[in-house]
Amino acid sequence: MNDNVEKKEPNIQEIADLLIKIASTLMSSGAHTMRIIQNVSRIAETFGYHMDLSVFQLSIMMTIINKKDSSKRLTLIKKTKPLLLNFTIVSDLSALSWETYDKKTPFEEIKKELHQIITTKRMSRWLVLLLVSCANASFCGLFGGDLIAIALVFAGTFAGFLLRQEMMKKHVNHLVVFTTSAFVASLIAGVGYVFKIGNTPEIALASSVLYLIPGVPLINSMLDIIEGHILTGIARLVNASSLIVCITIGLFASMLILGLEKL
Amino acid sequence: MTPELIKLVFIDGMMAAVAATGFAVISNPSRKAIFVSAFLAAIGHSLRFFLIKSGVEISVATFLAASCIGLLSIIFARIIHCPAEVFSFPSLLPMIPGMFAYRTILSLIKFMQSTEVVKAQGFMLDFFHNGMTTLFILLALVVGVSLPVLIFPKFSFSVTRKY
Repeated sequence: MNDNVEKKEPNIQEIADLLIKIASTLMSSGAHTMRIIQNVSRIAETFGYHMDLSVFQLSIMMTIINKKDSSKRLTLIKKTKPLLLNFTIVSDLSALSWETYDKKTPFEEIKKELHQIITTKRMSRWLVLLLVSCANASFCGLFGGDLIAIALVFAGTFAGFLLRQEMMKKHVNHLVVFTTSAFVASLIAGVGYVFKIGNTPEIALASSVLYLIPGVPLINSMLDIIEGHILTGIARLVNASSLIVCITIGLFASMLILGLEKL
Repeated sequence: MTPELIKLVFIDGMMAAVAATGFAVISNPSRKAIFVSAFLAAIGHSLRFFLIKSGVEISVATFLAASCIGLLSIIFARIIHCPAEVFSFPSLLPMIPGMFAYRTILSLIKFMQSTEVVKAQGFMLDFFHNGMTTLFILLALVVGVSLPVLIFPKFSFSVTRKY
């Protein structure tokens, strides 16, 4: 490092704030624990700090120690925001961490780029709604449903996912959101069973709630467990399982209403 | 391999691609990543379909399909400078054992409600069968997709490095 950079060296508090902000953003965007630790420690390394991090479901703990002067050390705990998957952020922050490591990007620039990455707009919610409905409909096709079943699943998913988006906007408890969306989607897809249209009404009902299954948290939990972050992995697994229980309760309620015994 | 089977495998791949696209957009990946994950899902899911049709057990077939996705995804990751899991995770989503997962809970509810011993035993069997299938498929997915990462760790962790 040359003298020019040395003069502008940010102090330990600023660096700690930046690092823990990156860590908590990665956590709430759906990165697995190993990636969070690697990305953040790469940036810490660039500024001459050693970093230790532990990640929990609701908070992140971090200690950074200056490599040259070990009396300079700081520990922070930060709450994480609720999970809102965003892989663009994960990918951009990973690229940012390598860029920082390779080009020794100045502190202010990293801060600016982080702000830009976080504030990038998401894909239009209507497009997401349409694509998710198509996806679940083709899922019904994968399980061998006929065209009527596919159409019913499309309608059910459309209504269920729209309801989920609206309720998420109003910050309703996520367990309630999952139960009601599963209930509505399966009730609409179960219409075929009541009016005896189509040959595969059970498949329509069974695949109508699959769009709610928390796939990424499930994969992340298994990945954390096999990489040795067992506590975080189990926390994610329990979280995902409780959502699956909610989905089942929603489905079970509409099965009771439709008078269905077995699926 | 009959033409009939080839057609079925192809249709399966197409539907898996649509499903992967839809489930991928929930996690807001970049445009490039969406196309790659649709492609990978088509390959992985049709491979699994073919293996199951040929008589391979579902979790073994899933493992092979997932390791195929994992291998291809680190190659694509290198090309478009993007962490591999950004498109390997969405392409695994069509293979997530969602139906087995909620059937596990459903048979648990039924077990609680049934009063006859024979019926209750049936539901207990359902519970273990579905639960174990869910767990093993999930493990097969994750171990399969991270196998290439374990074999080439340096290569896979530096894909977003541009310099």
